[in-house]
Amino acid sequence: MAQKDPEYLKKAISVDVHAGKATFTIFPGLCKGCGLCREKCPEQALDWSHKLGVYGTPTVSPNPELCKACRICEQVCPDCAITIGRKEKEKEEK
Amino acid sequence: MEAKQILPKMPKSWNPASKPHKFCPGCGHGLVLKALGQVIDELNIQDRVVFGCDIGCSLLSWDFFNVDTVQTHHGRTTPVIVGIKRANPELITIAYMGDGGGYAIGSQHLVNAANRNDNITAILVNNTVYAMTGGQMAPTTMPDQKTETTPYGRDIKETGYPMLGPEMVAAIAHEGAYVARGSIAKFRQLKTFIKKAIENQMAGRGFSFVEALSTCPTNWRTNAEKTWDFVENIMPQYFPIGEYKVPGGKEE
Repeated sequence: MAQKDPEYLKKAISVDVHAGKATFTIFPGLCKGCGLCREKCPEQALDWSHKLGVYGTPTVSPNPELCKACRICEQVCPDCAITIGRKEKEKEEK
Repeated sequence: MEAKQILPKMPKSWNPASKPHKFCPGCGHGLVLKALGQVIDELNIQDRVVFGCDIGCSLLSWDFFNVDTVQTHHGRTTPVIVGIKRANPELITIAYMGDGGGYAIGSQHLVNAANRNDNITAILVNNTVYAMTGGQMAPTTMPDQKTETTPYGRDIKETGYPMLGPEMVAAIAHEGAYVARGSIAKFRQLKTFIKKAIENQMAGRGFSFVEALSTCPTNWRTNAEKTWDFVENIMPQYFPIGEYKVPGGKEE
């Protein structure tokens, strides 16, 4: 692509969750700090982070012990700021 | 940094250069457009879609997708999209509007398009207020709901009843039309409704209309918890979720 990569790709923060079976990635350049994901998390695994998002509001970070990588936060994020990758699945796909 | 960069899971039809999009934090437009983007990806129709957006918050989606987009006058999305469809029936045309554009200034066009059974898809996002102008009372404001212009709650004796759009469209639409009301709180169901609406248009059966219950934390002045409570528990009391008209008559 001739276009340069958007700014939000550069500052992604990845955390290994669910005993290392999955990766939780938050893009602070997309996160507006609305907190919808935090309310929907069935494990209460998401908490506010010190890292600030695109509007200067707190982003979220997962508790690696509680997060089960169920992808509800990924689905309810209106900004697609959360990506969850499951490691076994990625291997199978390869 | 890992060797393979992790990318946000945006639908392929989204325009990545325009993100983060212009909607407020917690706005439901992002979720409705995510559902629509996933449907466009799944049906593989990105090069055939014409997306029309209205005035109001919905116009902030003018550069949202990598599809042909037209931004129209307030309430006139439906006739513009009907015109595009009549000029080139090969296209898949989607009219995207808010409740102000669809039920207030644009209700005549919605009624007539439904009556003519025009072969288009209309997606209407209902957040119960006029959000872009600061949260005034809209046709869909619920009884006793506080807005900027109804600070003591909407009094239905003075201001009448909220508009029930899908019910009205289902009552006047003809055989072949598809009418449903979804909610961003039930994302998969909303996506199914939008998919059925676009497939209905692709099959050439007629008018397809989906209303999506949506959030406006900025003008409702709610935090995340109360926002979910309002859209999940309070709004469906007045706006029941489900399919109102399905070709062949098998409503959910």
